[in-house]
Amino acid sequence: MSIPLILKAVEESGVSVWIRESPSLFAYWFFLTWHALGMGMAVGASVVIDFRILGIARDLPLAPLKSLYKIIWAGFWIQVVSGILLLIAYPTKAAMNPDFYIKLTLIGIAVAVMRMIHKRVFKDSSLTDPVMMSRGRTLAILSLILWVGVVTAGRLLAYTYTVINYSG
Amino acid sequence: MYSAHYHLLLNHWPIIGTFTVLCLFVSALVANNDSLKQASLALFFLIALLAIPAYMSGNSAQEFLKETPEASMDRIQTHQGSALFALVFMEITGMISLIGLWQYSLGKKSEVHRPAGWNLTAVLLMAILTFGLMSITGTTGGEIRHPEIISNDEAPSSVGAAGVRILPGIQYFVTQSSRYIWGLLETLHFIGLILILASIGLLNLRLLGFFRKLPVAPLHRLLPWGIAGVFINVITGMLFFVSMPEFYSNNPDFQLKMVAIVIAGTNLMLFYCTSVFRPLALIGPGDDAPAYAKIVAASSLFLWIAIIVLGRYMPFWEVAK
Repeated sequence: MSIPLILKAVEESGVSVWIRESPSLFAYWFFLTWHALGMGMAVGASVVIDFRILGIARDLPLAPLKSLYKIIWAGFWIQVVSGILLLIAYPTKAAMNPDFYIKLTLIGIAVAVMRMIHKRVFKDSSLTDPVMMSRGRTLAILSLILWVGVVTAGRLLAYTYTVINYSG
Repeated sequence: MYSAHYHLLLNHWPIIGTFTVLCLFVSALVANNDSLKQASLALFFLIALLAIPAYMSGNSAQEFLKETPEASMDRIQTHQGSALFALVFMEITGMISLIGLWQYSLGKKSEVHRPAGWNLTAVLLMAILTFGLMSITGTTGGEIRHPEIISNDEAPSSVGAAGVRILPGIQYFVTQSSRYIWGLLETLHFIGLILILASIGLLNLRLLGFFRKLPVAPLHRLLPWGIAGVFINVITGMLFFVSMPEFYSNNPDFQLKMVAIVIAGTNLMLFYCTSVFRPLALIGPGDDAPAYAKIVAASSLFLWIAIIVLGRYMPFWEVAK
């Protein structure tokens, strides 16, 4: 399969070379570390919401968990920025791996499910906890499965690539 | 100080400790003394924490003894084989102990909240098995440098021999059986990380004054999920280490991460899983935590994040070498 030329152009850009090859503590490994922390924030906060909707820690009031969405979104944007920088460092490695597109798709659906939970469960502040739980149940299960899928697909990116850069 | 020195410094604690604390625990059960039971559970968990660097520093010691002709490689391997079993059983003992201790911490004021019936029985059973494995580990370890304790008619330890056979199997499974296994174990390691942040991390944020509308007690009830995360990561982390010890042993980043884990684990046990937490569990919606709790929460959050950062930077030191 031929590799698109655009990947070569990105890979040869100064930013890409710097992130990939700089011996600095604040280059590639710095962004990779932020990518792990952002994951912990976005997925960790989602998991708390999903667990509570599914009946774990029932004496925790559900409505105030709405503010956990701040952590989810902060984590999400950390992931977008650090993810783009990592993609610039190794564009061919990611773009030529089907797993990369599986991961992006799963992220898209997982984020959409979290937005649906926000809309169905948290938007109407007059709902009681049992009503909130029954409205969110299916979505919460779906969300947990999707996040496990995202983390798995993301982790496997480091082990399933076939080409590491444009020259092979 | 050589890194091999750490092995000598650490390796007596799990062996003598398991025996001493097992005696204390049995006395506590016989006397039905809840304070002593809690002390035993706390100590079992501390020993489990120390056993991790004790095992891992063994590889540095082995590296060093390679150039010493009188230390037989066979004896070192037998010792390592039994140490692996002792470590696994010690970690299980430690984790069940921490859950039991946490159950004790749920009581209000002076009332005693006893752990579930299975818990103490499981701790006792696992501790007895661990003690047996620790004695074998101590004996086989001593025989490496003390020929005077080896009797001629003594058969080499069968537990150690079993460990010697299992170790290459684990290494093969983790690194060579499939390109996906290492990645899937990494996935589990990340899921453990998520559980730690979701439970211990959120509790700390609440104590620091974020999400003030949430009462503290129900967040404290989520702790077993964080403890499960710690357990998953200890097990997967051990699989990584025993499969590629030469990658980790001399890596300063890895050594620092192990130190951070011992401190973070001690912090988790002392402040979140003992009666020290009881006054904090009374903090209701809108209430502020006292200053000392904020200092502990900030330290805990800092330590767990440091562990993630150190873990992520680990290959950096290999590349930089």
